[in-house]
Order: sequence, then C-alpha cells, then structure tokens
Amino acid sequence: MNLNLIDKFAMGEYGKWFGLLARLILGGVLFAAGWLKIFTPAKSQMAVRAYEVLPISVANFFGIALPWFEIGLGILLVFGIAVRLSAMLGGALMVLFIAAISQAWARGLSIDCGCFGGGGSVAPGQTKYLSEILRDTGLALLGLYLFRYPLTRFAVEKLAKSEGE
Amino acid sequence: MATSSAGGDKFTRNLVIGMVALVVVVGAAFSYFGSKGSTTAATPSSVSKTDGYGIVFNADVKNVPTIDVYEDFQCPICARFESINGATLEKAITEKKAKVVYHTLSFLGTESILAANASACAADEDKFLAFHKAFYSNQPAENAGAITATFLKSIGASIGITSSKFATCVDNGGYAGWVKNVAEAGAKANVNSTPTVFVNGKELDRNTQYFSPEAFAKAIAG
Repeated sequence: MNLNLIDKFAMGEYGKWFGLLARLILGGVLFAAGWLKIFTPAKSQMAVRAYEVLPISVANFFGIALPWFEIGLGILLVFGIAVRLSAMLGGALMVLFIAAISQAWARGLSIDCGCFGGGGSVAPGQTKYLSEILRDTGLALLGLYLFRYPLTRFAVEKLAKSEGE
Repeated sequence: MATSSAGGDKFTRNLVIGMVALVVVVGAAFSYFGSKGSTTAATPSSVSKTDGYGIVFNADVKNVPTIDVYEDFQCPICARFESINGATLEKAITEKKAKVVYHTLSFLGTESILAANASACAADEDKFLAFHKAFYSNQPAENAGAITATFLKSIGASIGITSSKFATCVDNGGYAGWVKNVAEAGAKANVNSTPTVFVNGKELDRNTQYFSPEAFAKAIAG
C-alpha cells in the first residue's frame, strides 16, 4: 500500500468527509449496540458468559459495563470529541470482539455474538460467525483510520487542527 | 494530545468528555444495582434459597435425582419444551420420582418479570404447575405488551384461582424482588440459554435430550 496516497486522500477535502462518515458509522454502531443492551442487563450478561472465556463473575460484570461503555464511545465519536482516543478504544473493542467470536467458532460453541442484544446459546447451524467477524473487521478498520486521521468534518472538537501527523 | 490555541475549547472538550464518562459510570452503576437481588425480598413459601431461589417440588423426598429447570415465561422454545415435556415433569413430581426446581428467569424483559411474579403468586395458592402449564399454552408474543396484570389474572382464573390475595399479588408485583434474586442466581449458575435443564447438576444435551419426550424421560430418571 502506498501510504503517501492514503495520506493525501485523508488530509484532503474528501478525506475529511470520509472521516465524518467513519465517525458516524463506528459511533452510530457502537451507540446502537449499547442502547439495545442496556434495558436487558441479564441478557447482556448471558451473552458475555456464553463465550466461555471469562470467569462467571467477571463476565457478569462486563455484561453490565460494556453496553454503557459502547454508548459513551458512540456519543464521543458521533459528536467528534476526543476522536483519536475514542476511535482507538472503539477499534480495540472490535479487535477484542473478533478474537472472542473467533475462539467461539474455533471451539465449536454455538452462540449468537449478542452484539446488538440477544446472545447466548443458539441451535447449532444458526451461528453467523463469518458475517459477524467481517462486520467487526470493517468497523475496526474505520477505527484505525480515525486514529490515524482524527481530523474530520463537523467535529465539535476544534483543536484537532493542531493534532496533524 | 495536542495543545489548544483557544483555552475555552479545551475546557469544553474536557467538560464533555467528563460528562460522557459520568453517564457511562452512573448508567453502569444503575444497571448493576437495578439487577442486584436483595436478601430481604418477599419470597414465596415453596422457594428454597439454597436451590437458587427456585420453586421447589419434593424438597424432602430422599434418594431421587434433582432436576433444575431454567425458563423464561416469554421464551417461545420454553413453551415448546413445556408442551413436549411438561407432563413428564409433572408426573415425576406427583409420583415423587424427582425433586424438581423451577427457576423463572426474566432476561427477555419486563413482561417476563410480571409473568414470573404471577407464577410465584400462583405458587402461594399451590397452583404453580397449573399456572405454568396454562400460561405456556396461551403464551403471547414476546414483549408485545400483551402480558399485563389483567392477562395474568385471567390465566389464574382459568385454572380456578379466585382469591383476592392472588389478584393483589399480581397487581402489586410483590415478588419482583424475588424475581431478581432468581435471575442473579441463574447468572451465577452460568445459565446462558432457556430452557436449560440440569439433572443432578449436569446439563442435558441440547441436541438430543430436550425435545424428544422419550430421551427426556430417560434423562430425568437419573
């Protein structure tokens, strides 16, 4: 890949619009994912436990805390505040999700990712691991882009101007 | 992080970040304490704390297998499970062939809490199993607003519960705290799906033992 070309695109007028789009997609998805889970915390806990990675008490904690964390990141990204930090955390979260889903797939568990509510065990054959991983990969790449080029259109945060690479 | 040329911008930025962080922390704390059980919650008489706050049948029968059934009244597969295996479980209970513990989970939403509360009210009338059966055969669509106090009282009436105590219990949601306790115990027991059935602490095989009446009857024989 030619980084100079990407740099040129990202620093240019189109790049800033693309950055806005990236912010709205990543932020919007994070916000929606959190919003759909906060009203059913028991289900969200169940979704985290179903990955069979964390000790039960830790999984139950994450089931409660994660949706709110997603909402927080979503708000920051959509409004364009602390874009670098929130894009980094959002992207890292996606990488974490990809790892969690991959291990569930590799171990032959039958679960729903529980990304937008739902979750827990599902019937074998009803899993959607590949599409879940592809979606999260796309979102992680948007996070990476925003981490590298946090300067975007219509961001509340103005000081990004002095934050160029 | 970069420095700002305008001091006001930086202040606003930090203020917004702080506010968002506050929303996250307060929200998470709200969810945590909102779903936390209480040891002082009113509890139906047939409930055993040591059995995860479940509604227990044949608690004092010795040398029989213990069957833990985790369900959510709104879960459609639970209705299917009940129609296939409900009679088998009821038979095991009346013939004292098993100790059966029903755990009425409520992860599907507030209507599940209403239904679980009403089932506890029915348990006080010694009609839990009848209520359970009547509810599942009339199970409304999930979170469609159909499970109301009126609906739950009509289920009660259909199985001959006429007492005003039951009506008050359903109306007031007197066992809502207990419903949370059941949910919390279910989370600690690592139940990740409904229905989930344990026989002597061992989970049945979801592929083969849940929806075949013969396999299920064999599995719960211990």
